[in-house]
Amino acid sequence: MQIRARGLGKTYPGVNGAPPVRVLDEMNLEVESGQLLAVIGESGSGKSTLLNLLGLLEPASAGEIWFDAERVSHLGRRAQCRVRGTRIGFVFQSFLLLAGLTALENVLLAARYVGRDGREAARDAEGLMERLGVAHRRSHYPAQLSGGEQQRVAYCRAVLNRPPLLLADEPTGNLDEGHARVILDELHAEAHARGAAVVLVTHRADAAARADARLRLVAGRLAP
Amino acid sequence: MRGRVFPRGYGFTVLGIAVGMAGLVALGAMAERISRFIEGGDRFVLGQISVAGEGMGMGAGFTAGGLLPAARMAEIARVPGVAIVQPQVMLPISTSTSHFLTVTQELVMGMDPAAPLANRHYQSLPVRSGRPLAAGDRKVAVLGSDFAASRKLTVGATLPIGALEFAVVGILDKTLTAPDRFAMVPLEDARDVWLRRDPLLFRVFGTGGLTRADLNSGAAVGWQDGVDPDDLARRIQAAVPGVNVTIPGELSRLLRTSTAFFSALLIGIGTLALVIGGLSLANTVTAAVFERIRDFGVKRALGATDGQLLAEVLGEALRVSLWGVGLGVALALGIGALVDSRTLREGQQLFFFSPRLLGFTFVFALLLGSLAAVYATLRIARLSPAEAIRRGA
Repeated sequence: MQIRARGLGKTYPGVNGAPPVRVLDEMNLEVESGQLLAVIGESGSGKSTLLNLLGLLEPASAGEIWFDAERVSHLGRRAQCRVRGTRIGFVFQSFLLLAGLTALENVLLAARYVGRDGREAARDAEGLMERLGVAHRRSHYPAQLSGGEQQRVAYCRAVLNRPPLLLADEPTGNLDEGHARVILDELHAEAHARGAAVVLVTHRADAAARADARLRLVAGRLAP
Repeated sequence: MRGRVFPRGYGFTVLGIAVGMAGLVALGAMAERISRFIEGGDRFVLGQISVAGEGMGMGAGFTAGGLLPAARMAEIARVPGVAIVQPQVMLPISTSTSHFLTVTQELVMGMDPAAPLANRHYQSLPVRSGRPLAAGDRKVAVLGSDFAASRKLTVGATLPIGALEFAVVGILDKTLTAPDRFAMVPLEDARDVWLRRDPLLFRVFGTGGLTRADLNSGAAVGWQDGVDPDDLARRIQAAVPGVNVTIPGELSRLLRTSTAFFSALLIGIGTLALVIGGLSLANTVTAAVFERIRDFGVKRALGATDGQLLAEVLGEALRVSLWGVGLGVALALGIGALVDSRTLREGQQLFFFSPRLLGFTFVFALLLGSLAAVYATLRIARLSPAEAIRRGA
């Protein structure tokens, strides 16, 4: 799947009479299937906002997002939900696992809203968790897991539906070196072995160096 | 997740709802108790015409009139429309004036066991254990439930009234109104109690031309089908000299007027209970949903539609509300049982957990819980997934 963004911008309204805050401006990018794009830049440069817009997690103030020939940025609420559920996987820095669900239930959450067959999804989830080394923690709650385990569970959730687009926002930000490497290797495998388009926001120079393409943001704009 | 009996992570929410619902149910049960008492009294006075002899009732000590001689009753029976005239002797069980004319007063009620009850709304009284009074009975008593409970009397026990002793042959089911505090005995035995208790009456009796049949503190008059009881009461008053006749409709109005304070109190208690319980439940459910705003954001990111989220939240709110109201009702029942076990020793029952109260509580809680959940969900649904995740962080 080809992902294209044209003239993408995001401006947050000012609060209590303050002027509006322009976070992202005139952003153009393209990511192809099988490509891992690293987005780098200082904190506040608009990296996470870019990822949110590409993932349809919030509406853009300007511009368009295309998945192949479909302009997904202008779809209705319900259609965007379907796109998020079937075509996008998210890996967040803070994992965002649901505290009331076990590790396996958290992984299976990805299948719940897209109408997947429960048994098939459970089989896939078990396989993924086995591969990531967290199968033995399937019945534990997030609070009972280490940070590395939580991120691996969150990663399983992100890829359960084999989305053609994987968005990872600082996925290694809260992990030690060993766990970080596992996640980064998985993201590379997603792109190069499975053919997903992967957009990785990172501060790690080594991760950016391994990417197929890099994009540097400075104050919400592409750095030359 | 699905299939889990207790909703994980909702312990305090359930507890919060339970406390609010316990308050609602307990206050409601107290209101129901008072309401039943008033309704029972109203049904009773509308079911018969009560007649007493002329006078202030000083001899009888209780009824609103003097002795009602047999001759007067015969005259009443001849008034067109009258179906039955049942002589009665009603005496306070305690002669202490501090017990007179209070709602907690316990009475000895003497009635003819061979005659059917004249009251249209109380043709028979439900017997919980033992048997009702029967023709030919002497020195036996059937007790109201509170009367028996306060004295720890069961069937087979002996009840002393004055110098006489009565064998308890039956205990009535709870009626939540006046008969709960009655000791029903055969009419002749009640006359004996009365004669022994009242020395003045004893001296008059025999010398004043009175016979035992004249020893009645009143009579319950029943009417024939199709007869208007108020009209009949007025006709008796006009046709039979020397009697005090209560007019059922007027007495009912009087009863309602005199209990207007209680009625207002009931409305107040009910409103207060609804407001406290309702606010507690709505606030708790809304807060519980808002607490999970981050989870909403994550679920939206995973593709959940507004409808799917709403269905999930509704299901969870219903489950949480059901647990909360279930625990709340159990808590209220426990408190009620504990309090009533103490007050029953004094012959009092403070709570009545009627099926309609419990049914209403469940429906009210589930409805309000659902509404609160829908309101909170719709508020959150307006946020983008990213905004929901940010706010919940």
